[in-house]
Amino acid sequence: MTIDCKHIRNFCIIAHIDHGKSTLADRLIEATGTVQKRELKEQMLDDMELERQRGITIKARAVRMEYECQGETYELNLIDTPGHVDFHYEVSRSLMCCEGALLLVDAFQGVEAQTVANAFAAMDARLTILPVINKIDLKHARVDEVTAEMEHTLAIDPGEVLKVSAKAGLGVRELLDAIVQRVPAPTGDPEATLQAMVFDSHYDDYRGAIIYVRLMNGKVEKGDKIRLISTATTHEVLELGQFVPHQRPCDSLQAGQVGYLICNIKSLDLVNVGDTVTIPGDRGAAALSGFKIPKRMVYCGLYPSDGQDFEELRDALEKLHINDPSFEFEPETSEALGFGFRCGFLGLLHMEIVQQRLEQESDVDLVQTAPNVTYEVLTREGRLMEIHRPQEVPDSGAIEEFRQPIVRVSLIMPSESIGTVMKLCNDRRGVQQSIEHLSPTRAMLVYDLPLAEVIYDLHDKLKSATRGYGTMDYDLIGYSPADLVRMDILVNGNRVDALSIICDRRDADRRGRAIVKKLKSEIERHMFEVAVQAAIGSRIIARETVPAMRKNVTAKCYGGDITRKRKLWAKQREGKKRMKSIGQVDIPQKAFLAVLETGDEKA
Amino acid sequence: MIRGEAEVRRNSDAQPAAARSAYIHVPFCRHRCGYCNFTLIANRGDLVGNYLRALEQELSWLESPRTIDTLFIGGGTPTQLEPAELARLLEIVSRWFPAAAGAEISLEANPSDISSEKLRVLRDQGVNRLSLGVQSFDAAKLKFLERDHDARIVRRNAQRALESGFILAIDLIFGVPEETPSIWRRDLEAALQLQPQHLSTYGLTWEKGTSFWSRRMRGELIPMGEEAEASCYELAIDQLVEAGLQHYEVSNFARPTFACRHNQAYWNGRPYFAAGPGATRFVGGRRETNHRSVTTYLHRVLAGHSPAFESEQLGAEDAARERMVFGLRQIEGIERHRFHLETGFSLEYLGGAALETFVAHRLLQWQEQYLRLTRAGLLVSDSIWGHFLRR
Repeated sequence: MTIDCKHIRNFCIIAHIDHGKSTLADRLIEATGTVQKRELKEQMLDDMELERQRGITIKARAVRMEYECQGETYELNLIDTPGHVDFHYEVSRSLMCCEGALLLVDAFQGVEAQTVANAFAAMDARLTILPVINKIDLKHARVDEVTAEMEHTLAIDPGEVLKVSAKAGLGVRELLDAIVQRVPAPTGDPEATLQAMVFDSHYDDYRGAIIYVRLMNGKVEKGDKIRLISTATTHEVLELGQFVPHQRPCDSLQAGQVGYLICNIKSLDLVNVGDTVTIPGDRGAAALSGFKIPKRMVYCGLYPSDGQDFEELRDALEKLHINDPSFEFEPETSEALGFGFRCGFLGLLHMEIVQQRLEQESDVDLVQTAPNVTYEVLTREGRLMEIHRPQEVPDSGAIEEFRQPIVRVSLIMPSESIGTVMKLCNDRRGVQQSIEHLSPTRAMLVYDLPLAEVIYDLHDKLKSATRGYGTMDYDLIGYSPADLVRMDILVNGNRVDALSIICDRRDADRRGRAIVKKLKSEIERHMFEVAVQAAIGSRIIARETVPAMRKNVTAKCYGGDITRKRKLWAKQREGKKRMKSIGQVDIPQKAFLAVLETGDEKA
Repeated sequence: MIRGEAEVRRNSDAQPAAARSAYIHVPFCRHRCGYCNFTLIANRGDLVGNYLRALEQELSWLESPRTIDTLFIGGGTPTQLEPAELARLLEIVSRWFPAAAGAEISLEANPSDISSEKLRVLRDQGVNRLSLGVQSFDAAKLKFLERDHDARIVRRNAQRALESGFILAIDLIFGVPEETPSIWRRDLEAALQLQPQHLSTYGLTWEKGTSFWSRRMRGELIPMGEEAEASCYELAIDQLVEAGLQHYEVSNFARPTFACRHNQAYWNGRPYFAAGPGATRFVGGRRETNHRSVTTYLHRVLAGHSPAFESEQLGAEDAARERMVFGLRQIEGIERHRFHLETGFSLEYLGGAALETFVAHRLLQWQEQYLRLTRAGLLVSDSIWGHFLRR
């Protein structure tokens, strides 16, 4: 069966978290009869447990729907994209596969930071935008104001705004009609050489990699040989098909269509998002533009809390990596924590996701070190080093320039919070780029900030500064030189490598004090005094002392108490063994995150 | 840690010594005090008859009388029993546990229970040491501890006991919420005035399941702080040693030759018999505890079933480790050669690197051939023991 491009519409939905993207997708799937009502479940497309739990989309996904409009049958392909900044690159690839985007905004919440970031990304990708206001049946819906906000921030024509309630099913038909009428049909030549974009993949234990593709030109059939350009590997197509939303095999896919390929590829390492699929040999199509190997922006150490579990952790990481090659890991050794892994992630959310999956899918109890961003050091000899952990920082004498990643952050908040949020950004050495009033009650600030400042706690601080109404999104814009230092933490005179951090020299005193104070509260009293110090080089900048325990002695111990007491004492000791012992000081696992203390608490 | 078990163990084939001590638990009390989690049943004097029958039954399973050097009758409150009941109890016990010459026969007594009649019964039945649960002389503190006596009763009855020829042991409690150092000092002074041969000072412990514990969890009771508690403990040590008592175990003080031999048997890993609800025996390397519920104990024994409820067989190394810990809780410490000879393990082997650390931190010290706690080590000793024990 072949289908003309003019009967295909490819689109995505972009929305801020909780604005109803998944519900709308469910409603479209239902209204087009793609899935029978009895098979429907909430959040059809978010099938990772984590996505359902957190109400977010992590992996891209696709669903093919059929819709009849004015006597013609159309194939609608909804490509569901992740919305979070960590997956910015994946989003940009998914957008390349669409001609239109539904810009979904909550009728009460209005335009949010993620709405803006994703809308601009869609516009940059030259997608036709269909503005949609959702939840119009809400008691507190403020449709007109939100329309104005959309007009103001995103230059949306108020006359084009569609009004729906995904939950109640209002306006869904009209929306489907609008998709057919307003989203352009894909342009592509089915007769040309095969050229398809890989926009995601997942790993099936039995069948290997499932490659998600959008065909730009040409066609592909079962049994064809294909080539992945970036890895220069050739494979045979064993099965191909479309998502309805489960995988449904078909005989061929052609220009304009969205579907999947199964080629018995046993590692997702070969399947890079953004890669181009074409035919083998030198007559293949050109690579599609924009392909990048994703850059890991956040690193942290992951250690088994029991050293015995090192191999088990390695197996778990390897298994996870098959499914998510965008995080990387390599063995590292810490004097304090023993054998573990340095892991790189796309961002903080990505880090959390990987960690949660590790914990859910393996039994290993983890100790995580505080995350740090990727720094660059230009040495006196002119060598450029990428710094993934504080221990790699060379002596200050050898550093010509120390650079840190800078991000452009958009923050949207109620107007009355502007002052607080500006202070928040200024305290973090932000440089203001713009300020814009979206409506009489809401404003958008744009700041350039060091990524390190953003990942620690900016989101939490923004939420508390705006009583939960503030939202933010950010985009890496590059590296810039800064006055950075490595700060070490010493416990009873022993440097604890896993507690070293890189920070701005001007923040060192404040952070040093905050960290040693936090550590003091995390480290239990010992039989001897424990000194906790922060140092830059050999200079001590902060010190706290955990006083020695004063009294811990059981008074009564006679015949009947002996067994019970012996077990209790031995058990208490066992409990301590789970901590990391450094120079006879037992440090609880939680303490390794103490370095996240920024020290700007008012209390 | 290089030397293996096989090499360091020497006298593993030696027959365990026969038990020369016995403990009898009397589970009756008029009232359960707020801090107490011992095995007892309050206000059920009606069960005494059954209890005595059950005790007799349990002891009969020994098959033959066992001569003992120390006997301890504890509770509960043994003196809750009527004189006739007391006489019956002691008669049963002494039939199965005849005392060797010079034996130490102790009985726990509640100050307000003591009458001339009861003292005579005890004396006649061979009891020669009375352990008096004084706890305090301070009216408010006694009230808080839910005790039914006052300083006057204590003075009178302690006097009587001494005059009747008993060795007098007094128990005191410190660390009660809102207690001040001066209240504690006065308690110590008042106790010394009675000239007991033996004194025990117990820091109030908060045990799960007691009413004090629940009140503390609800925030109604706030324990004395660690610092104040430590000061009280040190005050006791200094004051009692000054008065000529020897500090011979964490909580125990005695005039020379009056250390409690029964308790020393526990701490030195020697075997002992036991009978009564919740009582623990240690015979043939096996430690066994009877059912803690008084009624279950009675039902089982009277139905001819063993009242034992949990038990563990201690291996040679575990026994040695235990002995190391309870040996070190005795202030004199442990003589290294004798320990090695008697347990088959060296202190250095059992202590490992941790022992060296504690010595380096001056929590433990070697003096001649003795390993003992320092004052600093004594105060935090619970944090040491886990390093020497295995679960």
